[in-house]
Amino acid sequence: MSLILRNLQSVVPIRRVPLRARIEVLRHILGIRQFDLGVICVDDKGIQRLNRTYRQNPTPTDVLSFPFHENLRAGAVPQPECRDDFNLGDVFLGVEYIFRQCQENGENYCDVLTVTTAHGLCHLLGYKHSTAAEWQEMYHKEKVTLEALNEVTGTSLQPLTKNLFG
Amino acid sequence: MAPLLLPLLLRPVARALRPAALPTLRPAVATATRAFGSLLGGGIASGSGPARPRLLQPPRSAPGLCSCTCGGLHTEGDKAFAKFLTDEIKEERKIQKHKSLPKMSGDWELGVQGTEAKLVRRLAGERITVTFNINNSIPPTFDDEPPEGQKAHEQQEPELTSTPNFVVEVVKDDTKKALVLDCHYPEDEVGQEEEDESDIFSIREVSFQPTSESDWKDTNYTLNTDSLDWALYDHLMDFLADRGVDNTFADELIELSTALEHQEYISFLEDLKGFVKCQ
Repeated sequence: MSLILRNLQSVVPIRRVPLRARIEVLRHILGIRQFDLGVICVDDKGIQRLNRTYRQNPTPTDVLSFPFHENLRAGAVPQPECRDDFNLGDVFLGVEYIFRQCQENGENYCDVLTVTTAHGLCHLLGYKHSTAAEWQEMYHKEKVTLEALNEVTGTSLQPLTKNLFG
Repeated sequence: MAPLLLPLLLRPVARALRPAALPTLRPAVATATRAFGSLLGGGIASGSGPARPRLLQPPRSAPGLCSCTCGGLHTEGDKAFAKFLTDEIKEERKIQKHKSLPKMSGDWELGVQGTEAKLVRRLAGERITVTFNINNSIPPTFDDEPPEGQKAHEQQEPELTSTPNFVVEVVKDDTKKALVLDCHYPEDEVGQEEEDESDIFSIREVSFQPTSESDWKDTNYTLNTDSLDWALYDHLMDFLADRGVDNTFADELIELSTALEHQEYISFLEDLKGFVKCQ
């Protein structure tokens, strides 16, 4: 099924081909290639609007996930009954926010984009990090996923939520 | 008349004028010009009697004919029309953002011929040309019901933006064919930004065409992106980005096109005023 990339902003340049390549590897590792997936790049204004509308938080952020299948048990791959339900949902990447963070922390933008997408994909699969227990579960999933990605791409990416409850 | 309402009222009218009113205006002008010419010709060249007194006489037999010797019709309606256009031009000039066309980032060279603009840049053995036409490039506005307690005329009028389709031609030196990419802005109506998930611009069609002045061929294979593999589509978008046609370019092209459209609109109004006043 399809991975659809959208770039709705013009603040930060986006190279679609490398981003797609890495997300395709992530989809393969997570076993979700049979699902449609949208990854949408937005600026601060765009992600702030979504954050305000859906989370009542009027500030920009790095990633927001909108699962197609709600109330999934963490890590449970959806079991659709019809063709239209082979949809995982959308991940919105706040690329302007991510780019700024990378500059401040001296991190590689492309790498952080991948790590952030992996985090968003885990949310689509029902993982959360509201409590320490939830975080532990999510952190583990992100870690093994990125380790598998590192093997393929030769990178050394670490989970986004590394120090969240540490 | 409330100045804020002027653009909204006049713009659709100006566009509606093209197909409906121009054909009826043309014969009237042509007739008037011909009559004027024959009157002059009769009076000066031949020096014969009947023409000269008619020129000097007040136009009693044709109410509405002017005293400016053009021989055209000048009705009270025309006067009101010209006055309206004068006010409209004044208002439009007041809200005109750019007195001269804005520059595009990068080394794009701009050429304008009427309503068509062409941006050209050279890049390491390639010539990239972007062409667009500002005619019919303003999408329809989305008329919302005014909120409770707010009258329609108090509503903030949406700014008109021109979002023309644009064609990118990439020609490699020493070749006789151009890679042509037909690009569009999303067709959503203005005012429907919420939940919009369209790219800032998209590629609709791709084909090869001859670089010479000859017409482009419909018989050349044209790749439609509607059912295209998304990975190939992403390569095409990155290909354009490498040549300076990215989201920033697309944003700036809207700015340029909007400025050109507005400039042409004001120029059209001036021509219309001149035509109505017979200047």
